[in-house]
Amino acid sequence: MSENLEHSFVTQLKENQNIIHKICRLYTDCEDSHKDLFQEVTIQLWKAFPKFRGDSKFSTWAYRVALNTAITLYRKNKRSLSTVEYEGRQHFIKDVEYNYEEEEQIKLMYKAVYQLNDIEKALVFMYLEDKDYREIAETLGISEVNARVKMNRIKGKLKKILNP
Amino acid sequence: MKELDLLKKDWQKNNDSFEQISEKEIYKMIHKQSSSIVKWILIISILEFSLGIILNIILSFTKVEEKNTEFIKGLGIYGYYQAFTIVLYAVIICFIIQFYLMYRTVATTDSTKLLMKNILKTRKTVQNYILFNLITLAAFFITITTFGLKSALLHKTLENGKHLVDISNTIYIISFLVIIAITAVVIGIIWLFYRLLYGILLRRLHANYKELKKIDL
Repeated sequence: MSENLEHSFVTQLKENQNIIHKICRLYTDCEDSHKDLFQEVTIQLWKAFPKFRGDSKFSTWAYRVALNTAITLYRKNKRSLSTVEYEGRQHFIKDVEYNYEEEEQIKLMYKAVYQLNDIEKALVFMYLEDKDYREIAETLGISEVNARVKMNRIKGKLKKILNP
Repeated sequence: MKELDLLKKDWQKNNDSFEQISEKEIYKMIHKQSSSIVKWILIISILEFSLGIILNIILSFTKVEEKNTEFIKGLGIYGYYQAFTIVLYAVIICFIIQFYLMYRTVATTDSTKLLMKNILKTRKTVQNYILFNLITLAAFFITITTFGLKSALLHKTLENGKHLVDISNTIYIISFLVIIAITAVVIGIIWLFYRLLYGILLRRLHANYKELKKIDL
């Protein structure tokens, strides 16, 4: 029974692991911490898995646990304090039509997002993931209206960081 | 915001650009120990709960406890002392039960705000436990030393053959103040240590909780 559970968990996690990677990318700033956080999220997901009944999708459920782990449970290590160098790893080679100006802007945006605090990052993360405000509000435990207001403020803050 | 939309496009395009973790690695991970804040709070709390109890058990095997009992009996407050001990243990057990129940409610599947609230509440229980311990310890210490002091001074005056009135109030007051000062310093140091310990552990969580609460104001 427990082996079955383990197997089912591992398969589903493997399929959905990009969710965790994406959160690690926002909340950590070097490869070691990325791995650290990934592992902690995996442990937390596994601990919560027996209560997962499958009435929501595995991915939806995993979002919440992963975000909670990153914001609440994870203890940042000293070595992950600088956010600048890691950013170098963030741009991707997948783009075929290379648009220099756009690429520059995206880079600056990533840099700006790194300067936000943990809660703001969570909102941006869910926004980037195309979550609606109802889900954002529910995940964080705030009201929908306030989630909207906060997101607008974050946009303003990002603008300020980009054009000081 | 134009730049944010650009970022979103890039973000979603690069959805699968991560180095993939194999099933074997995931199996390995789920058998590792968590190093989360909650885990640390649990470990530290268990240590805190057990420290006083273990100390008491160790003391009961030594002569110190015997001497203490004799001393307290000599002061004529042994009955109070026994009642005090029973109440003390009852309260400690209440704290442990409360802590356990709260710890059980901590779930990563709750909303972020609720999760943080539950963690902070769990910690608060332990903090109250420590505070309770320190206060009772201080009260106990002050009572015993005051009684001890009184009887010591009494003996001394009797030995000298002088009358009790000869001890001025000033001596009483100064001795009493010294006792209180020493107690305050010791308790203060222990308290500071706890603040530091939990401060380091929970600084980030506190900041994030404040931030979340601010959004809903």
